Amino acid sequence: MTTKKLHTEEFTVNMGPHHPSTHGVCRFKLTMDGEVIVKAEPVIGYLHRALEKICENRTYPQCIPVMDRFEYCTSMSCNMVFALAVEKLAKIEVPERAEYLRVIMLELNRIASHLIWYGTTCLDLGALTPFLYAFREREDILDLFEMTCGQRLTYNYIRIGGVSRDIPEPFLPKLRKFLDEFDARVDDYEALLNGNPIFITRNKEIGVMSKELALAYGVSGPALRASGVRHDLRRDDPYSIYDRFKFNIPVYHGGDCFDRYMVRMQEMRESAKIVRQALDQLPEGEISTRVSPAFKAKEGELYSRIENSRGEMGVYIKADGKEKKPYRVKMRGGSFNQLMVMPELVIGHKIADVVAIMASLDIIMPEVDR
Amino acid sequence: MKREKLVEYIQEKFGDRIELLESGAVEPIFLIKNKDDVFGFCKEIRDDLKLQVEFLCAITAVDNSDNFEVIYSVASVSKIHRFDFKVVLDHDNPEIDSVIEVWTGANWYEREIWELYGINVKNHPNLSRFLLPDDWNQGHPMRRDWDAPDFKRMPDL
Repeated sequence: MTTKKLHTEEFTVNMGPHHPSTHGVCRFKLTMDGEVIVKAEPVIGYLHRALEKICENRTYPQCIPVMDRFEYCTSMSCNMVFALAVEKLAKIEVPERAEYLRVIMLELNRIASHLIWYGTTCLDLGALTPFLYAFREREDILDLFEMTCGQRLTYNYIRIGGVSRDIPEPFLPKLRKFLDEFDARVDDYEALLNGNPIFITRNKEIGVMSKELALAYGVSGPALRASGVRHDLRRDDPYSIYDRFKFNIPVYHGGDCFDRYMVRMQEMRESAKIVRQALDQLPEGEISTRVSPAFKAKEGELYSRIENSRGEMGVYIKADGKEKKPYRVKMRGGSFNQLMVMPELVIGHKIADVVAIMASLDIIMPEVDR
Repeated sequence: MKREKLVEYIQEKFGDRIELLESGAVEPIFLIKNKDDVFGFCKEIRDDLKLQVEFLCAITAVDNSDNFEVIYSVASVSKIHRFDFKVVLDHDNPEIDSVIEVWTGANWYEREIWELYGINVKNHPNLSRFLLPDDWNQGHPMRRDWDAPDFKRMPDL
């Protein structure tokens, strides 16, 4: 029996820009062979707000609210990376209490960001329940931020030389209560998904990223640690006072979506551990060094980086020593590199897997487009 | 590697091809004297067993009005050290070699400096519109002398 060979041809599918799973506005030009992806090309720039150019026209303290908009899921980290760079450049000392408050806020913000990731990933994969649980805990964290600095998303809390406000009285009891319950809550999250056959089938062996591929593309953070590289800037290039805390760095070796999920779940527990230690050691004292609003940094340049929930967040600052404004600010976010590597990961998969891979890499578009 | 040892090692290895800059008082910054040497330098620091620079953090460009600087921030994940190096290009016809062959992740960073600063990247596979709109025709907005028609500067403080 002979079968007549059917004529086939490749075709292009536009995914996005207004697609709920792209977490912002990103478009993929997917070249398909039937249901299988042959080539993918991300089209970005829809959220470009020229933040780097804006920073060139602001004084140093005015840049911090701009940094808030760089990556709004972890605004604390954005504030921190800029403040840290200016402090290094201008040799500003930060009081002890401010350092501890910074660490507490950064780690809480990391948990909040991972909770968003957990909720929206499950939403993308069709599980609606975890989203509600994740946002319940995130709400607690946002309440803590709100009572401290009045904001729930763009905090402008970590300033050059310290932090803007001390924590109010009800903060500590509320935080202790949150931490007491949190580990059990993470157990609940894992119980919802770890044994779920649909979740496992959609994540295991999907979007496998080898160690070499990850390093070549500059992938960092949880995505890199899921590929078997033990690299965490909090330990390898300690900034602030991270060398005083004991915590584990979760590492998995598969490099697939499921391992990236596991790394982030473990990281939430580790962050809670750091917050507990910081609370126990929290000293009394000043919360900020006085810095003039119109101060000039000395001539110099610096690339400073911290570990954000999405990988390495860095900022390059060049000061010319004559003006009150930075001469050049360059922002580097983890999502930029994670999106760059995506075309390599999706080849051979189906469109539904693009959603899973993008969710597992935790890409957020304002960080890519700036 | 510790900072002093790292600086010493790099200076010894590359001799007069590079120069340690004063502006890098906080973190070491080297200047590559010949701009055609960038690709070779990148390849050597990646393949050197003591440096093992396998991670590219970022590529940044700066417009100094009379010249351009391109700054490469690199790190080693296995040896845990980090440094920057830069190269100076003339303002009229800025051109630089692509380092995608060394670090694949350089791709989008080079597209960005091509688009926003107008620095031509030789041997780049895909220099096309990136962050700006597809129909953009108003030059390179990150250059210092660029002004949009409706752009209002902040008053001096």
